[in-house]
Amino acid sequence: MDFIWGLVQILGVHTIIGLSAYVILLTGQVSMAQAGFCAIGAYIAGMLTVLAEWHIIPGMLVGGLAAGALACVVGFPALRVKGLMFTVATLAFGEFVRLFWFNFDYQISRGGFEIGPLGGEGFRQIRFFPENGWSTLEVAIFVWVWVILIMAILWWMDRSRIGAVLRAVGEDELAAQSVGINLTAVKVTAFTIGGFIAGLGGGIYAHYTTHVEHLNFGVLLATFAIAYPILGGLRTVVGTLLAVLFIQGVLVEGLRFLGDLRNILFGAFIVLAMNLRPAGFIDARVTRALGRLFRAERGGA
Amino acid sequence: MLELRGLSKHFGGVRAVDGLDVTVERGQIFGLIGPNGSGKSTTVNLVCGVFPVTAGSVSFEGAEITNSPPHVALGNGIARTFQNIRLFSELTVWQNLWVAQNGQESVRSQGFFSRWLSGNRGQRASVEEQLEFSGLADKRDEPAGSLAFGEQRRLELARALAARPKLLLLDEPAAGMNLEEVKQLDERLRWLNEQQGITILLVEHVMELVMGVTHRIAALNFGRKIAEGSPAEIQQNQAVQEAYLGRSEEEGDEGGGSS
Amino acid sequence: MEIEIFGWTLLDYFQTIVDGVLYGATYAIIGIGFTLIFGVMDKLNLAYAATALAGAYFSWGVGTQIPLPAPVAYVISSIAAGGFGYLVYLCNFRYIPSGAPLASLLATVGMLLFLEELIVHSTQGMPQPYPALFDDVMLEWGDFGMRGDLLFVFCLCVLATVFLLYVLYRTKLGMATRAVAQQPVAAQLCGMSVQGTNSTTFVIAGAIGGIAGAMIGASVGILSPLLTVPVTVKGLIAAVIGGLGSIPGAIVGGLLIGAFENTFQLLRSVTERDMYVMLLLFAFLAFRPGGIFGTASRHE
Repeated sequence: MDFIWGLVQILGVHTIIGLSAYVILLTGQVSMAQAGFCAIGAYIAGMLTVLAEWHIIPGMLVGGLAAGALACVVGFPALRVKGLMFTVATLAFGEFVRLFWFNFDYQISRGGFEIGPLGGEGFRQIRFFPENGWSTLEVAIFVWVWVILIMAILWWMDRSRIGAVLRAVGEDELAAQSVGINLTAVKVTAFTIGGFIAGLGGGIYAHYTTHVEHLNFGVLLATFAIAYPILGGLRTVVGTLLAVLFIQGVLVEGLRFLGDLRNILFGAFIVLAMNLRPAGFIDARVTRALGRLFRAERGGA
Repeated sequence: MLELRGLSKHFGGVRAVDGLDVTVERGQIFGLIGPNGSGKSTTVNLVCGVFPVTAGSVSFEGAEITNSPPHVALGNGIARTFQNIRLFSELTVWQNLWVAQNGQESVRSQGFFSRWLSGNRGQRASVEEQLEFSGLADKRDEPAGSLAFGEQRRLELARALAARPKLLLLDEPAAGMNLEEVKQLDERLRWLNEQQGITILLVEHVMELVMGVTHRIAALNFGRKIAEGSPAEIQQNQAVQEAYLGRSEEEGDEGGGSS
Repeated sequence: MEIEIFGWTLLDYFQTIVDGVLYGATYAIIGIGFTLIFGVMDKLNLAYAATALAGAYFSWGVGTQIPLPAPVAYVISSIAAGGFGYLVYLCNFRYIPSGAPLASLLATVGMLLFLEELIVHSTQGMPQPYPALFDDVMLEWGDFGMRGDLLFVFCLCVLATVFLLYVLYRTKLGMATRAVAQQPVAAQLCGMSVQGTNSTTFVIAGAIGGIAGAMIGASVGILSPLLTVPVTVKGLIAAVIGGLGSIPGAIVGGLLIGAFENTFQLLRSVTERDMYVMLLLFAFLAFRPGGIFGTASRHE
């Protein structure tokens, strides 16, 4: 049973990371830095609970805020230039963050043990959950409370004016500017929100795995982050959730017997999926068909 | 109201706009005509700050606004439409108008919450008003990309008006319209100008519209102003006729005098 | 008397920078490849550096079956990488509508992971030896020396670049490529095949990338899957700080990165040096977003 709840935790964290990229993708920007923001959230939240002995919730929030603040600072120069340069800049920034933690040591001694992050060795013994006696089920519930909270907020945001503004910027930057939208402000805001959400995801990730190292936050995770919303389609947050269920649940877990061949398969799957459904699983046609179905049912009742 | 002084824009060696002086008075409908490639659209883009000017200045209501980016120009009260319609085609008609509620009063006087998240009652009422104006009320939930061509033009005009501008820049609004639609547009522009007091800078090829509706016209060729005056004066002007028809008359009119 | 700065003499710095510039020629080529594909398609091909290294791996794989002299291995690497380049075009650009830029960008990332994992799978993730030329030669002027293998790497990269420039500016194919890059619609109306030109660009870019991949293997002495992402990032940075779309810019950018990273390897350590390269990119984005050769405002 623990295996199932463990999987449920993984699905939850990956959904959060996918949603962090979703917000940014709405404005038409592809951020390859989500793994980096995740790393910032993971290390900071971990250090706060392990070294400063905080509770996990404030630890996660501070980790998320730090990631968001950094996103804001990095966003200004990176978002002033053309869209593709932003992808390059965020790719480089993600690698920068990974290398930063690779070179980062901060250990203190407690009860005869050295605790804290140690460069390439990583950050071990982030034991907030076991020390406080949380069961795997309880952790899974904790994770999904966050997932549902974030999804609900984004769902509502999508229907608010800011959602329409983000999509307007994503569709046509010049037209958006001409109706009075400040492009840089909107894009930096989206990037900041995305960084904050990824930081939250990282905070949870560090605590349920109890051990993080720089290699967890490489290009693979960054690719997962943008792959979920793009594969799921940018019409709705549900697409991201479905893509996570499919990739992590079916491809990664279901094909466990294939060993490391799965990673090759993941790359090939993305290429194939983009050729067959360039706008994702849930594209405009699907949402329209669903909408009609929904209306028809309501009309019939 | 709008003053262009020595306005120039060079793309590499091409002088798209070259030392242009134009003054648009408050309450005018001012026409800007000229053959294709004479710099009309570039002028609109320079006024809106789409790209930086090479030389010269733009001032609006007495204040210098040269090179202020499009969203700032809009904040100042200058709205525009595009030559090839640029709607947010995946958004619905309603959303297209909703995101455009950035007019001067509505931007400055409201809290963050009502401005960005819920959209306050004023913004929603204003959207309804523009839906009514554009005659698209029954299509409010359709994606803008699925509208017919004429409807898209009407929506784009309504979207530009959403900001309650003082000056409206229209870049070939009649392109691709039939005679009936041009007549409707003519009435619409008169109504905006006379009833709403909006000053209009009209870039247009369709002479029926320009000659009928404008108070004053400037003609451009090769980025320079070759004539300015009332519609009647421009129609008589030798230089304008040459620019449109070529020096030898048998070369025909390409797009210029479209009817 | 010796002047020391941060514990190193001027000669040490000079030596480090020269070595870095020589090695930086490989980044320059990868940067040119990114620039070339960007110029023609207006899209980013993030799998490009991976195809370059996959070419080198391919020649290594052939070398494990039949013994190859180093120059033959380099040629095989170049040809294989050209083939991979074509494959990337087919899988990531040819059939994905051009109106879906997110799709082809993500597809190239998928391709990057696919190639990387394929390499890991076929080598069990172990670094593999790669043959060098002139690695026993050392040109010396007093205390200053030049490694023969690095010098060879540099010269071959220069040759590859000159060849590329010749193709671009002196042949019909190159004219077609540039025409398509500047005016795709007009080029099509003139009877040029946009798809043909695009795929040729991928093959040419892939082929010179294969040389760079082989040269990276030759000067490091090994090929490792850990090279893929750093080479991708540095190649992209070379293209960006040179001014995306400018070939001379990519060359200068690549050499600059080579010198820069080698200097910080001397001053700090090999694990930290790449961080400073990333900071270099941000310095450019903040203060000169158009790159070295771009105009300051290349917004549209």
